[in-house]
Parts: sequence; structure tokens; C-alpha cells
Amino acid sequence: MAAPMELSCWGGDWGLPSLHPESLTVMAYAKFSGAPLIVNTINNSWRAPKGDLPVLVSEDIVISQPAKILNFLRKQKYNADYDLSAKQGADTLAYIALLEEKLLPALLHTFWIEAENYCSVTKPWFASRIAFPLSLYLPGKMSREALNRILLTKGGPPLYSLTEVEAQIYRDAKECLNLLSKRLGTSQFFFGDTPTTLDAFVFGFLAPIYKVCFPRVHLQEHLKQLPNLCRFCDDILTCYFRLTVSGHSPAGQDTADANLQKLTQLVNKESNLIEKMDDNLRKSPQHPPRKLTTLKLAAGGEESSPMSRLSP
Amino acid sequence: FSLSTAAEPWPENAALYQQLKEEQILLSDNASSLAVQAFLQMCNLPIRVICRANAEYMSPSGKLPFIHVGNQVVSELGPIVQFVKAKGHSLSDGLDEVQKAEMKAYMELVNNMLLTAELYLQWCDDVTVEEITHPRYGSPYPWPLNRILSYQKQWEVRRKMKAIGWAGKTLEQVLEDVDQCCHALSQRLGTQPYFFNKQPTELDALVFGHLFTILTTQLITDELSEKVKNYSNLTAFCRRIEQQYFEGHEKDSSAIAARSSKRSLLR
Repeated sequence: MAAPMELSCWGGDWGLPSLHPESLTVMAYAKFSGAPLIVNTINNSWRAPKGDLPVLVSEDIVISQPAKILNFLRKQKYNADYDLSAKQGADTLAYIALLEEKLLPALLHTFWIEAENYCSVTKPWFASRIAFPLSLYLPGKMSREALNRILLTKGGPPLYSLTEVEAQIYRDAKECLNLLSKRLGTSQFFFGDTPTTLDAFVFGFLAPIYKVCFPRVHLQEHLKQLPNLCRFCDDILTCYFRLTVSGHSPAGQDTADANLQKLTQLVNKESNLIEKMDDNLRKSPQHPPRKLTTLKLAAGGEESSPMSRLSP
Repeated sequence: FSLSTAAEPWPENAALYQQLKEEQILLSDNASSLAVQAFLQMCNLPIRVICRANAEYMSPSGKLPFIHVGNQVVSELGPIVQFVKAKGHSLSDGLDEVQKAEMKAYMELVNNMLLTAELYLQWCDDVTVEEITHPRYGSPYPWPLNRILSYQKQWEVRRKMKAIGWAGKTLEQVLEDVDQCCHALSQRLGTQPYFFNKQPTELDALVFGHLFTILTTQLITDELSEKVKNYSNLTAFCRRIEQQYFEGHEKDSSAIAARSSKRSLLR
């Protein structure tokens, strides 16, 4: 319980604390196990992301991959898997392997390779978080790495073109979602009533698919047909990530939260008024919402998006 | 797979192709091949094992093993399981949906951890590469082709390792991952005879293929097989499947022959 632990990771939008699946997994696990993490989201400053995110810094120890970060937290006695039987622990490993093999390629594809998604949403979002001139280079690099990974792991013969590979990975992803849905059934979390590591990983992978508004969304549509998975994501967001869209853990900064709440209420009132007055204007064709401007009003996440449609 | 697949019965001359057993085949390919053989034995489908030096190039996907049944060629365990299912034989029909999900998850775990660890050990650990892999992989070909082919394959595998993030791992970390995977498999197996109680499934075949190969292959050090030997229920599981499905078959007795040939692996 000695020094405070700081987590550097990508920030969030569209109601999520982070857009990056691995960052989201670590944040979710920290919430489930009660670990007091200070979350620093990468914003447009010169503390550029070195290497892979998320990164946990505790005293002098720097740990970078989600599995290692979770191991470290467990050693510090923040263990969300305390009540699991050995067999359930084994199941956790197996399902995480399933997620990484079947769902991750499609997730990477939706974010980084699908041309419309990448150009209109992913690249501007990430570029706005990174300082110039790294913002010109890093999103492209992440996209190339994603393509490389998909092609090397999935793209051998007999699949000879990128479209065939895409078809295969989306088929695998949809099958994986179906399997997860069957496994979850009607229970609240995967192993009963308390969330565990597996819930953190599933949440980390599913929530970006579920919440981020992309132009091309067939995976999201498939996910929306599995109501128990949607309910799972929403439950975790409301129970564990309430009012922490800006990334501060609720342990500290209560005044900041109170200010945020007041600001949210003001923004809500304003947006309601504007909605009432400008009904026709909203229905007419608009440019896609400029997510960059919503960041400065990032109090309410979704609530501010009607406002952004009208701002120049 | 089309309707014609289902219509034809399993022929007598179905063949499984792999690399040369004594001189050429490597740990990971041997494991995959044994897994397919075990699966077909469990389904009671006869198969001959044919060893060819160029088996890798004959395969439709570049991966081994592949089977030649009638006029169709199918490679890798996943598609082979589906192909056999289209012909009406299946080991996992008796499982319910949740169990099927579990089975698929565990098969991915084995592929993700055990197979990748085997590939890492063979192609990224310099000592093993020099002393075992390079000599074996190109052995049917004359110099300089043997060196060129094995360097090409090594470059390919190292690229893949880098893409999935395993390139930065040390050997100890890889062995630890193997240990974690075996621990999970051991916990899941418990005291049951097979992973899904009474009947073997493709998961049992896959796990048997990998674990048996690891246990009986002699590498530079014994660390890998020691990791598996730590779990007595896994070694008992391998022995049980070997006795039930591989002994008493005089044709090729792949498992037994494999065991005796492995002593000559370290050359």
C-alpha cells in the first residue's frame, strides 16, 4: 500500500473511460479489485506516450502489458479473483485466449484498418491526443502494426486477399460474441455476482465496439443483437465508472466532481433549450459530429453532442 | 463443405501427410500431426501416415498436417474437425452450448500458448535453432538450399512473433507461460478421464498431441518437458490416451514409433 500507483493510458469518449481495449481492461480491473490508481490520460502535452500503453508506474517500477500489470496488482493484494475456484481460474485463461485470437483481430480492423472508420474517427481522435509532430506519425504507425498483426496471424493461404481475410475475421468475431453470450447467459458477471479478471477483459474488448460511433458498424450491430452482453457493458459502466469520464478515480478530487456535475447540469439545460428551438435544423443533413470540439466540454460525454452539431 | 462431402463415406485409403519423421519433422509440426491422428483414432476413422519431405509445400494452407480423403485435401485440425463433421462423425455433439464454448476457448488457449511457445523455442531460441532446428529443417535438401529454406522459415516465424508481442519475451517467460497453461489444463482436467468427462473430444486430441510430443521430444534442455511433468494428471492423461488409441495398432503406431525416434533427435 506504499507509493501511489499511476496509470498512463488513452482517454475516453462516447461515455467510456478509455477507447483503448487494453487500457480499459486495466482500469476495469482496478475498479473491481479496489486498487487506488491515479489515472493519467494522455492528452495533448509533451509527455508523449513512450512505447505501448497502458503503463503502470509505481515508485521505480514500470510495467507495460495488461497481463503483467494485472499480475503486479495481484501481488499488491488487489485481487479480484479471490473467490474463484481453480477451475474457474483456468476457464479465465482459456476465455482470454479466445478473445485475443478471435475478437481482437476484428476489433483492430474496425478501429485501424477499415478506411472510413480510420480516417473519420480513429485517426483524428488519437491525433488530437498526441503532441505535434508525433501526431502525424503515431496513428499511422499503430495502423500499420494492426494490419501487420492481422495479416501475419490470419492471412496465410488459402486466404489470398485482404477482403477474404476480413470476411474470415468478422465471421470469427461474430462466433466469438455468440459464444460469450451463451457463456454469460443470464448471470450478471461471468462467474456469479462479483466481477473478476475475465469480466475486465471482456469489458475491455466489448465496450469500444459497443459504444464508439463508427460509420461502418456491422460488428456493433451484431453485438446489439446480444442483449445480455450489452447489459453487461452498461452495468459495469454505471456501477464502476460513474461520473469518471474524465478519468479521475473517485478516491480523490471530490470538488472537481462536484464542479463537473454542476457543469453537466448547465450543459444539459442549455442543450434541452436548443433542442426545443432548433428541431428542424437537427433533422437536416449535417456534417458528422466534430468530436474534437466536444472534448473541451467533456463533462457530459453524450449530452454535449447535440450541442456540438450546432457549433461551427 | 458441400453436400458431396457428406455423401461419400470415409474411404479406406485416406492419408495424412507430414514431414519425414526421423530426420526432418520439428516439435510443433509433430504435435499438430499427432493431434490430428489422435482425433481420427477417436472417431474410429482409419488413416495412413505418409511422410514426405515436401509436405509443407503440398499443403493447401502451408501448414501441417493435411489429410487427403477421396478427392479432397484439408489441412489443420480446425478444418479437419469440420470436414469430419460434414461426413457425419463428431465427438462434440453431446456437449451443450456452454460446454462447446468452453471447449473452443480451451483449444484457443492451447494454440495461443503451447503452440506459440513451441514455435518460439524452435525458431527464436538461438541455441536450439543452431543445434536442432536448422539441421533438421533442411535435411532432405542439398546445401545451400537447406540453409536458405531454414533461414527463410526462421525469418517468417520471427516476424510473426514480433507482431504478436512474443519477440520481447525471454525463454524463462515463455516457460512460465507454458507452466501457466499446463496449470490451467491440469485444473480443468482434475480427476476426470477426459476433459468433458466420459467421452474424448477434439480438445483431448489437441492437448494429447502437444503434451505427448513435449514429453517425448529431447531438446537441448529438459525444461519444457519438466514443466509438463509437474502435473501428474496430465502425464496420466497422455499415457491413458496412448494406451487406448495407439497401442495395439500394428500399422504405423505413430506414437510408439515417435517415442523411439525422438531419442535420436538430439544430433
